[in-house]
Amino acid sequence: MTHKLKALIVEDEELARNLLKSYLKDHPVLQIIGECENGFEGVQKINELKPDVVFLDIQMPKITGFEMLELLEHKPEIIFTTAYDEYALKAFDYNAVDYLLKPFSKERMLEAVEKVVERIGNNENSHNKLEQLSTYAIDEYLDRIVVKDRHKINIIPVEAVRYIESLDDYVLIYTPDGRHMKQKTMKYFESHLNPKDFIRIHRSYIVQVGYIAEIQQYEKESYVVILKDKTKLKVSKTGYKKIKDILHF
Amino acid sequence: MKHPFLNNKKLLFYYGLFWLVIGVANALVQYLWYGTDLSAAFLSALTFFVLYPVLGGSIWFIIKYNSLEEKDLLWVMLYHLIGATILNGIWIYLTFILTKIIAPLHLQELYETLPGKLFSGYVLYVIYVLFFYSINYYQTLKEKIQKESELKSLIREAELSALKSQINPHFLFNSLNSIASLTINSPEKAQEMVINLSRFMRYSLQHDQDETVSLKDELENIKLYLSIEKVRFGRKLNPVFNIEESCQGVQIPNMILQPLFENAIKYGVYEATEPVSITTNCKNEKGHVAISIENDYDGESVRNRGEGIGLRNIRQRLELIYGSAELLRIEDQKTSFKVVLLLPKTIPA
Repeated sequence: MTHKLKALIVEDEELARNLLKSYLKDHPVLQIIGECENGFEGVQKINELKPDVVFLDIQMPKITGFEMLELLEHKPEIIFTTAYDEYALKAFDYNAVDYLLKPFSKERMLEAVEKVVERIGNNENSHNKLEQLSTYAIDEYLDRIVVKDRHKINIIPVEAVRYIESLDDYVLIYTPDGRHMKQKTMKYFESHLNPKDFIRIHRSYIVQVGYIAEIQQYEKESYVVILKDKTKLKVSKTGYKKIKDILHF
Repeated sequence: MKHPFLNNKKLLFYYGLFWLVIGVANALVQYLWYGTDLSAAFLSALTFFVLYPVLGGSIWFIIKYNSLEEKDLLWVMLYHLIGATILNGIWIYLTFILTKIIAPLHLQELYETLPGKLFSGYVLYVIYVLFFYSINYYQTLKEKIQKESELKSLIREAELSALKSQINPHFLFNSLNSIASLTINSPEKAQEMVINLSRFMRYSLQHDQDETVSLKDELENIKLYLSIEKVRFGRKLNPVFNIEESCQGVQIPNMILQPLFENAIKYGVYEATEPVSITTNCKNEKGHVAISIENDYDGESVRNRGEGIGLRNIRQRLELIYGSAELLRIEDQKTSFKVVLLLPKTIPA
């Protein structure tokens, strides 16, 4: 290895950061290039510094470690460090290298670093397959969606989502204050939004039930929904059936 | 309580079966042994073992409203005497009608044996009363046992959740992680934190939920808790206390404030990137102390607060101890969250 691996710490507690830094001091293959106090900073620095590996806390102010990962353009290897054991399964859904439970020993952490080195050596960075591999372990439905618009990170409560439109590898999320782009699949939102409130009415649309104002027939067996803001969206046959089931008509 | 026959179809079945067997046996004995003619034997069995059991079912209602525990024995007996007389009157009247229809020839005989028949009516009444009292007793006992076990499981649940909240694992593990970090660069601080953590946990483990403590002791423990969290959160956590001296001695339920501070940390400090004040005010007012705990929070990232387990638990305890859940008030201003507790100075026994 010609140069050391670049590591970034994203962790809100100073003492926890200090511990990590002292564990990693003079590490032969890994070098700390920066630290962040929260997910917002994390997004910025990861995209800017492009580290190879990130030590990531999960419960942090504003946005969680998981939400931060969704906003990244550069995808580093992730080692989670947290006091919560209940996120372990979800962590591996995000293709994490390791999951360190606080407090952890130096040896345990070095093991995790070994795994990173191995993974990078084998060039098996498989982040792009993440979406397909993930089995969507759903522990609970989303109550907010975090999006990045240019340089601002927005937290959208799901109640504010009018509808979601698919756009190739992205989705457009329409809210009262505009639309937001996010790199996720329709399938992801279909399974992670509460089906009581959100229906996939068409291959390209997921609609919040509460925003539907009207359902109109415009041809035989062909329907459109009209939202409260007058937007018209096409409804597929199966979509129409789902609406019928939920609204009981 | 519903009529046991309506509640318990099996009981009704056995009741019917019992009197059917007795009735058939009685009719056969009269017919085969005493040589009574068939219609008379049938009639007698019908009135005694079908008609009376049907009418007798209503005796349960007299039992129900004449509990021996609630009323004087004399009154109960009087009511039963009246009940028995009315019931027997109806019974005899219906017996006459049935006799007229089935065996009019025996009407004369009925007149002659009327006093004996009435007498057996009263005796039967007593038997029914005993029967229904025992059923009633059994039912009440069963209900009581069920209620008791429900209550027990409720208490166990409360104890368990109390135990769990006393030692919040995330608080513990994060604190231990801080200690691990401190041992490297500032061992004295690590030592101090271990001691504070031990004192805090000893206090939590020592006191039962039904105990009362002075406000002073409770606040001391809270300060200990906040000092431990302060090590983790540093400048982000800014506790402020305004306590009127005269409040200090007031007795309050143990650990009733703790969850409020845990919430303030969880929703206020944990979600913030800027310093957050947690302000505690205690005022000595007429009849009660008013304790308010207020923290800033970021309404944008903290959502769906609602009333969590912590607040509900406090409400339940206030309800149990003071008989009112209204002593806890919440003021949510979307940028600050305030909980006000009005604790009476005397705790009802």
